[in-house]
Amino acid sequence: MSLAIETEKLVKIYGNKKTMVKALNGIDMKVPKASVFGLFGPNGSGKTTLISILVGLLLPTSGSARVLGFDAARDSVEIRRRVSLLPEGFGFYDHMTALENLVFLATLDGVPPDQREERALEALEKVGLKDRANAKVSTFSRGMRQRLGVAQALLKDPELLIFDEPTVGIDPEGAAEFRNLVRRMNREGRTILLSTHLLYEVGMICTHAAIIREGRLLVQGSVDELYRSVREAKGFRYEIRVKPGSEMPLQEIRSMPGVIEITQRDNHVTVLTRNDIGGSLFSLVTRNPYKDIVESLTPIEPSWEEIYRFYQEEDKK
Amino acid sequence: MMRNVFSIARKEFTDAVTSKRLWLIAGIFLLFSIASTYSTSFGFRIGAQRTTRLMVQIASSIASATAYMAPLLGIALAFDAISGERERGTLRILLSRPIYREDVINGKIVSALAVIGLTITVSSLAAVSVSILLHNISVTIDDVSRIGLFIVFSIVFSFAYYALSLFVSTFSSKSSHSLVVSIGIWIFFAFILSVMSSLIATAILGPPPTRAITVFNMSRRQFGNFTTPGGATPQELEEYLSYMRKVSEISGAIQAFSINYHYTQIANSLFSFAAGPLEFGQRGSTIASIPTVLSTRLIDIIVLIVFPIVFLVASYMVFTRRQEK
Ligand SMILES: Nc1ncnc2c1ncn2[C@@H]1O[C@H](COP(=O)(O)OP(=O)(O)OP(=O)(O)O)[C@@H](O)[C@H]1O
Ligand SMILES: [Mg+2]
Repeated sequence: MSLAIETEKLVKIYGNKKTMVKALNGIDMKVPKASVFGLFGPNGSGKTTLISILVGLLLPTSGSARVLGFDAARDSVEIRRRVSLLPEGFGFYDHMTALENLVFLATLDGVPPDQREERALEALEKVGLKDRANAKVSTFSRGMRQRLGVAQALLKDPELLIFDEPTVGIDPEGAAEFRNLVRRMNREGRTILLSTHLLYEVGMICTHAAIIREGRLLVQGSVDELYRSVREAKGFRYEIRVKPGSEMPLQEIRSMPGVIEITQRDNHVTVLTRNDIGGSLFSLVTRNPYKDIVESLTPIEPSWEEIYRFYQEEDKK
Repeated sequence: MMRNVFSIARKEFTDAVTSKRLWLIAGIFLLFSIASTYSTSFGFRIGAQRTTRLMVQIASSIASATAYMAPLLGIALAFDAISGERERGTLRILLSRPIYREDVINGKIVSALAVIGLTITVSSLAAVSVSILLHNISVTIDDVSRIGLFIVFSIVFSFAYYALSLFVSTFSSKSSHSLVVSIGIWIFFAFILSVMSSLIATAILGPPPTRAITVFNMSRRQFGNFTTPGGATPQELEEYLSYMRKVSEISGAIQAFSINYHYTQIANSLFSFAAGPLEFGQRGSTIASIPTVLSTRLIDIIVLIVFPIVFLVASYMVFTRRQEK
């Protein structure tokens, strides 16, 4: 597995001796190439600090970071040539139009003169702002500015895109469009790192995730791995939907190995087990008499709230 | 990299020349300088002014307007140069591009030099030409050289304030703060320090010889062809003059801290206008030649040039070494 980002014992301390804040406290993060990596953490956990170090805006107090094979402290310009960033709290030149802003930024991105406008318009199109290309940014709403922020990350042809809380202030439709954009960019082989404090966002688009808290990573890995380890600790959950008016016999399920608890509510039966019994449950419900009673069987994945709570508790132990 | 510096400078330049701020300052300057040339020209024609060359007199009135305009121009371009980008979050967007922090500040400095150079040159020349047309004056080569030198020094002076205000701006993340601080420094150098310096001088030397003051007040109007007026004896006058020379020395030493003082010294020498009663002894019907002006004002010229360099280097170091997410 080749890595787009690899950090080693990254530490960042802000302030002087008196006002010292340890924003990062030994981060070892590995972001695989071509992944959509969600960096989840509550406010003040160090997401922005970590991201800023990756693109060379901040220098680590100790430790190191390699991004696309370049050292973040030494070769940050090379990194920024290949990496697009949507920073936190960014802004645009209000007195210029959206297009003028993007053309200027494309210039600094090293886009050749004859392609700047074309690329800028493409980027505006991707975020749904093409019809406002010639409007001054001062007339933009917050969500439109955020979209423009996403657009400026699309000007160059980045191998890696880093988004710091990309969907703040964007309406649900816009957020969905953004997720589609991320999926599309990812299908083109680009790596995407996005920080968020919205758990559902991680679940919706990420292939990998890390949870950061107080400057430390509580866990990282592929989303499947994360699900599995939570399930192994907290149990597997299945939901059986029963046809209305039918009665579901439960004794056979109760006798299956590792079953902890069965709850029944209306026409839903939830089974919590210690082991993965998905296979046996499936063969059971496709047999008589269940065949005619059961409408569906679905394994329930742990929610991201659960995952987060789980790792937080693990961490406290 | 040069290419990025140029791109940033070009944008900054466009922003500046299309800004209301710049046109406002240039407009006020033109208004003031043309208005003041009127009174000068009027005085000249009724014979109240004893100097021989009207153009030099006109230029000196323009110079007094420039003494206020140039610092304000520098501050107007610099006070939000960095802090404004920080405040609006555009600095983050800029710095996430494959450029160096150096490129950002270099681009701004290059553009500021161009804007200041252009604004001062064009508006001074405009003021001069309008005066020439209005007052129907003939101009000599020497006049032109003096005005040319004056423009160069004014550009450096304005740039000194640019550098100073840029330095303030690199620290600040609020443009309103950096504006207040920059204007505060200007007010201090332009007004407070000169008042303070004479206060300090009189505090050190004690009050002036009282009789001499009345003598002086009676005689200053006819000073050009001074005979012994109002019953003051030559000793009394000499006493007074030596007192005033000392005041002038002390206050000059204090004012040497002010960049405005050095600029005014140079401009005064170029156009030989009296800054006030302190220099009345030097006023005469002849004017120092340009080489003489340059050599007697060498220290002032050096200070004028070194001052912006110091603050530019300081801004550069502060800005490029700073880390910000
Ligand atoms: N310039 C600074 N000076 C001092 N402390 C800082 C500075 N910037 C951040 N911190 C501190 O570092 C810690 C991490 O901040 P950071 O901005 O990286 O968090 P974050 O995860 O991005 O938070 P959010 O979700 O609110 O954006 C916080 O405790 C914050 O108070
Ligand atoms: Mg943040």
